[in-house]
Amino acid sequence: METPALPVPEARSAIPPALRGILPVLVALPVLALFQWVTNESPFAVYLLSVMGVNIILAVSLNIVNGMTGQFSIGHAGFMAVGAYISGVMSLNLKEVALSFLPVAASDQVLFTLALLVGGLAAAACGFLVGLPSLRLRGDYLAIVTLGFGEIIRVVVQNTDAFGRALGLSGIPQYSSPYMIYFWVFLTVLVARRIAGSSHGRSLWAIREDEVAAEAMGVDTTGYKVRSFVISSFFAGIAGGLFAHFVPIINPGSFTFVKSMEIVVMVVLGGLGSTTGAIVAAIFLTLLPEGLRSAFNLLGTESTLAQKVDQIRMPIYGLLLVVLMLSRPQGLFGTRELWDVLPRWIPRRRRGLS
Amino acid sequence: MSAAVQANQDSRAPLLQADGVSIQFGGLKALTDFSLTVRQGDLLGLIGPNGAGKSTAFNVLTGVYQPSQGEVRVAGQRVNGRKPHQINHLGLARTFQNIRLFRALTALDNVKVACRAQGALHPTGMGVSAKLSNALVNYRDWWRALMLTPHFQAEERELTRQAEHLLEVMGLSHRRDEEARNLPYGEQRRLEIARALGTRPRVLLLDEPAAGMNTREKADLMVLIRKLRDDFKLGVLVIEHDMKLVMGICEHITVLDHGETISRGAPAEVRGDRKVIEAYLGDSYLESHGGAA
Repeated sequence: METPALPVPEARSAIPPALRGILPVLVALPVLALFQWVTNESPFAVYLLSVMGVNIILAVSLNIVNGMTGQFSIGHAGFMAVGAYISGVMSLNLKEVALSFLPVAASDQVLFTLALLVGGLAAAACGFLVGLPSLRLRGDYLAIVTLGFGEIIRVVVQNTDAFGRALGLSGIPQYSSPYMIYFWVFLTVLVARRIAGSSHGRSLWAIREDEVAAEAMGVDTTGYKVRSFVISSFFAGIAGGLFAHFVPIINPGSFTFVKSMEIVVMVVLGGLGSTTGAIVAAIFLTLLPEGLRSAFNLLGTESTLAQKVDQIRMPIYGLLLVVLMLSRPQGLFGTRELWDVLPRWIPRRRRGLS
Repeated sequence: MSAAVQANQDSRAPLLQADGVSIQFGGLKALTDFSLTVRQGDLLGLIGPNGAGKSTAFNVLTGVYQPSQGEVRVAGQRVNGRKPHQINHLGLARTFQNIRLFRALTALDNVKVACRAQGALHPTGMGVSAKLSNALVNYRDWWRALMLTPHFQAEERELTRQAEHLLEVMGLSHRRDEEARNLPYGEQRRLEIARALGTRPRVLLLDEPAAGMNTREKADLMVLIRKLRDDFKLGVLVIEHDMKLVMGICEHITVLDHGETISRGAPAEVRGDRKVIEAYLGDSYLESHGGAA
């Protein structure tokens, strides 16, 4: 039996195993600081980058459920809303509180992180509650349940005084910074990639490929589906929390079905199952309206038309999806990652999940 | 765990036992009073015409369907009502009649999925403490994977090693990094067996392993199944259409027709059984040829 000489995984062993777990974080922190310093000048750039970051978190986290596990959730905005409102209310109430042993700015950031985590955990709890009964359902049925959940959240918020009803919450302290947002982007991507490369990820892929076979091979399919749902909702909650802390006002209108669809489009566009695909698609779809607006302005059309770009965004998404599904049904990258589809002369990783 | 240890002490203890199992879908009796015992080293055959209930029997044994009556025991434990993955953890693995590989995964990853399931020792009890310890093991596992701890990396290497070994046993080493869907048919069949072996079964259920193979491949397969049984110390139960294959390797055959067990015994006995010939060829055949061969 021939055993071809393949590049063994030890090829990456230049980094000691004990360090490999933490190394990305050590690299990311200074890079993010530099990033913060560069972008701090322009408020518009900061805003756009923030929206982009939140979208990346949403797309990458939804990709864990829709891409890796092969379930179809279309209620992601609901989990985002839970995170946004819970952390928003918490920050509003803790506005005047400061940790005496820290400088004010640092204390704010600590409380902010706390609020984010609480929001994320609340969303995760919702994910668990929705997931436990409904993940026994398949395909379309699950989609309907998640859709219903998203709408329920929106309606509940719209009718609760504590959440400001239809007017929404305003005056939430603007704690979000590109540094914080991209730190969470980084964490989300790290978690998604590490899940994908572990036995847990393989179990999720197996469920996506063939649930019956996965179950027969000893994979606890219901358990894994619930877990992927919980992780995904946690990060959606975090994204919501970050979002709530840089927009002047959050209202139920920010978390409609349209927002959910926007995230689904990102995941499908990038390729179901591809983390880097989701990132690329999120960046692209965040910049698209801005790009269109500038393009219209450059062409010298009346500014009213440029403003209408926001309104014609959804038709453009729809058109994009139709074109993509016709020309490349598996999405930009399919299940692959960016480094699998790069040109040959760039050294690539071995094929496979890790 | 404890069941496996017990079973080790007595290698002839039944690993898989079906006792008077019946299953009904509405008014249809898909399986009636089905009994079967598989011990280590057994190589049993399950045959019957189309629609006789062979695959239904497999599905009951592996927990896909729940028996309406009767009892299934794996490694001494009653498994009625358990989920397929729990039954798999007790040492029962199967292949599928219509190949069900994880098509977009590489051959290696296909096997690693299965290796994984057994990697962590899951206490299989149903009590609260077993559930709790299961949950704790689970969280520790996730944590290790997310933190990429040295333990996790070592485990991952071990899984890769195991999976590579199984690919080698099944003669698939050269397909290691190929997506399962791109493998030729015969190799897909073998990959399915490799995957089943990855769960470290004590009993292996093969659902028409020779379907779609040519004569030569079938002959190879017969040798392979015997070898697997001996090397992995398995009990094997084979569903097969090809009488030659079944008669050639099985030591004991059960014949089903319309969900009922119409005959059982050594290949020679079964072959001569009037009922079996009737079921396979119709009673008109018997009339025109004047009785059993």
